[in-house]
Amino acid sequence: MNIAVVARNTFRENIRDRVLYNLILFALVMTVSSIALGQLTLGYERKVIVDLGLSAISIFGTLIAIFIGIGLVHKELERRTVYALLSKPVRRHEFILGKYLGLLATLSVNVAVMTVGLWLSMLYQGGIEPAGYARILPAVYLIFLSLALTTALALVFSTFSTPALSALFTLFLWIAGHFNYDLLEFAATSRTAAMRRFFQALYYLVPNFSNFTSIDSRNVIQSAAYAQPVDWTAVGWTTVYGLVYSGALLALAVAVFSRRDFK
Amino acid sequence: MTGTGARISGGRMWPWLALAVGAALAVPPAQDRVQERMQARAPDPDILYFASPDAIKKMALGYEGLLADIYWMRAIQYYGRREEAERRPVRYKNLAAMLDITSTLDPDMLDVYRAGSIFLAEPDPVGAGQPEQAVALLDKGIARHPAEWRLRLDKGFIYFWFLKDYRHAGQAWLDGSRLAAAPPWMAGLAAMALSRGGEIETAKMLWRQQLEQSERADIRENARNHLASTEVAETLWTLEFFIEKYKEKAGRPPRQLEDLVRAGFLRRVPVDPSGVPYDYEPASGYVGLAPETKVRYLKVPEEYRASFRRKLEELYGSASGRG
Amino acid sequence: MSVVQIENLTKDFLVGFWRKRRVRALDNLNLTVEPGEIFGFLGPNGAGKTTTLKIMMTLLRPTSGSVRILGEPAASAAMRRRIGYLPENPYFYDYLTAEEMLTYVGRLYGIRRHALRRKVGELLETVGLAEQARVQLRKFSKGMTQRIGIAQAIINDPEAVFLDEPMSGLDPLGRRDVRRIITGLREKGVTVFFSSHILPDVEALCDRVAILHKGRLRETGALHEILQVKIEGHEIILARVSAETRAGLAALCDEIRPMGDRLHLRAADAGRLEAVLARALAGGAELISVNPVRASLEEYFFREVAAEVPRP
Repeated sequence: MNIAVVARNTFRENIRDRVLYNLILFALVMTVSSIALGQLTLGYERKVIVDLGLSAISIFGTLIAIFIGIGLVHKELERRTVYALLSKPVRRHEFILGKYLGLLATLSVNVAVMTVGLWLSMLYQGGIEPAGYARILPAVYLIFLSLALTTALALVFSTFSTPALSALFTLFLWIAGHFNYDLLEFAATSRTAAMRRFFQALYYLVPNFSNFTSIDSRNVIQSAAYAQPVDWTAVGWTTVYGLVYSGALLALAVAVFSRRDFK
Repeated sequence: MTGTGARISGGRMWPWLALAVGAALAVPPAQDRVQERMQARAPDPDILYFASPDAIKKMALGYEGLLADIYWMRAIQYYGRREEAERRPVRYKNLAAMLDITSTLDPDMLDVYRAGSIFLAEPDPVGAGQPEQAVALLDKGIARHPAEWRLRLDKGFIYFWFLKDYRHAGQAWLDGSRLAAAPPWMAGLAAMALSRGGEIETAKMLWRQQLEQSERADIRENARNHLASTEVAETLWTLEFFIEKYKEKAGRPPRQLEDLVRAGFLRRVPVDPSGVPYDYEPASGYVGLAPETKVRYLKVPEEYRASFRRKLEELYGSASGRG
Repeated sequence: MSVVQIENLTKDFLVGFWRKRRVRALDNLNLTVEPGEIFGFLGPNGAGKTTTLKIMMTLLRPTSGSVRILGEPAASAAMRRRIGYLPENPYFYDYLTAEEMLTYVGRLYGIRRHALRRKVGELLETVGLAEQARVQLRKFSKGMTQRIGIAQAIINDPEAVFLDEPMSGLDPLGRRDVRRIITGLREKGVTVFFSSHILPDVEALCDRVAILHKGRLRETGALHEILQVKIEGHEIILARVSAETRAGLAALCDEIRPMGDRLHLRAADAGRLEAVLARALAGGAELISVNPVRASLEEYFFREVAAEVPRP
């Protein structure tokens, strides 16, 4: 129950954070400019609008997830607001989960707003069948899953690291997480068994963000732009992956946070 | 109650840690399930979205070398999936783009030009069947490395073997032979191409050079196959030639290849480079590789047949009634 | 049942880059606080007062020993529901208004919407912040922050409140207000435990005190008992003392000090007090005041404690 209370307050805190608005503004600008850019492509307007719009949702969502996520716990520790809070009947896991869900709520509002913005751009462009609008949604869903994972990652770092380092680590892991399949290749072409196992371990360890960017082994944004059919089984398993990995991260964050002395 | 430190606090750490470990253990199986669904579809590699090499280079932010390695590796893996291709036509349409990106990111990786051009030029199913792209790639390399004679060698080779353009081949070799570090035989190669372009001897010499000089196992393998194929082609053309001569002399085709030996045309019945005897069909006059052969036959261009035949006629006198 | 029961409480911190050096912040602390009393927790800065409070609030884990509050081990959320806490130098979410912050805290205690709204209004009145209900906390002065801090500490009608330096940073008016709130709590039967290094406030409010120094408990008990032992005569202030009277008084007193048009005298014991008073009044002097000179808590403090505190 207190999770919801903390979450609601976190949401309120995010809404009042100016960083959020700057990012949303940029994102909307990007979406609108996609219309202009589309004109340059002579016949590929739809593809460009969808490509840019979804990419904007993904990139800016990730930036918000990272920049607000790294402060979720750290800000409380640094500003010492955590003392007043944890002396209340709030358990430590309620605190962590509440913070996480609060940021997810913020992200979902953000994603929703930008999706509507994208639909409006598509509407302005015209000539797109209803199925085309609906086809955006699976891509948006996968993007949101990736944001949930990114947030969990930032949150874990936030429990023990400074914002600068947390941002660095999270960003690094986010980038590395797009090259997981190359890790598989490294493993396959390794000369020694030890190297192979090392790369395989890395493959599983590094959060695999390319899961969320590929359906049908095509880039999810591209396939939405071309309105290609969706492999729902893949989406289902990707959801499982996202939940399990995020769950592990959250549990770890709670464990670290529970142990902590607040000097 | 005398508390152990961990009990008096918000700290119930161990259950959560256990939960974290439990969830972490579930990650690899979930990843595998996702991977399965990805693989089930076409094995298109996960190419980064932007296709322009210059854009990628700008975005590489100083890590061009690393990115180049990754793209090169992907190109190799991509090319190397021809085993699966046996069952399904392989599309190499992205190979040229990948090599373009790789060579833009790291223009000094010579292998990209050298081995990459071979893969591009080789026809399906061995390669992409795009010899013009191969030449373009080599030209890119030459622009960057004008003193590298090996690139000129390769360029001439592509023109010679795949494009049958002996004039350009000779020109490329001629340019190469003028470079400081060029080996002495390059001038001779140029001369041969320019004067007696369509000679199979020249081709064999080029394949032999690759077999001996290349540091890449796959290139050497390819060269070995080509050499074996030229040997097969020469043998088959010779057999066809002597079969015609036999028909002339005896009024009917030989019943088996041993007849050619008895008639004095051959010293012994030839076998293919893998030791398997050739098939001969007296009714149709067909000679060819037996089905059990282990030779990986790569088509030898028909153009060489004419000049080879001329050589045979010079040596043994012409046969009438061309087949 | 004691409100607070601390037994053999020890806390070590591991400091240094490799976390190897052990610094003992609390050393075998034993303490009880009885229901309904106002308990003062004293000591110089760095004595371990805040550490003790944080352990009680489960913000820190003890190295050994135990803490029980209202009969429960000081860990459960259930226990935290029944108490209130004001941290030292409190910080609250500065983007919230006073009203929003109290509402947030109230929700965490599970107070329902209508009751909560009423309560928040009352509390703001009690701490004198009714005007600033819609003002964001980032705009609050130190004194205002302290007051909203007390508000959030009592919003759940706790059975006991724990205040860490509640008067710090307040001007005399603010301190008076806080004192009033504390005595008001006592009237309602709430146990108050507060730490301070402002001795006059402690003297004014507390029934019992504990004095902490370098992590060790030096003294504990009723305040007047601790200080009673140290009565050192009386101070008399007279006016309109004639020179003749003054000379006579000089013989009786150890100390005579003119202050403006008044005379301050010190009589060493009860006997001499009588004599001085008789002589003064006989000489026509005006009696302004007579006060027992107790070693104030301050002097006691300086003598017993400050001497050992290394000067920088």
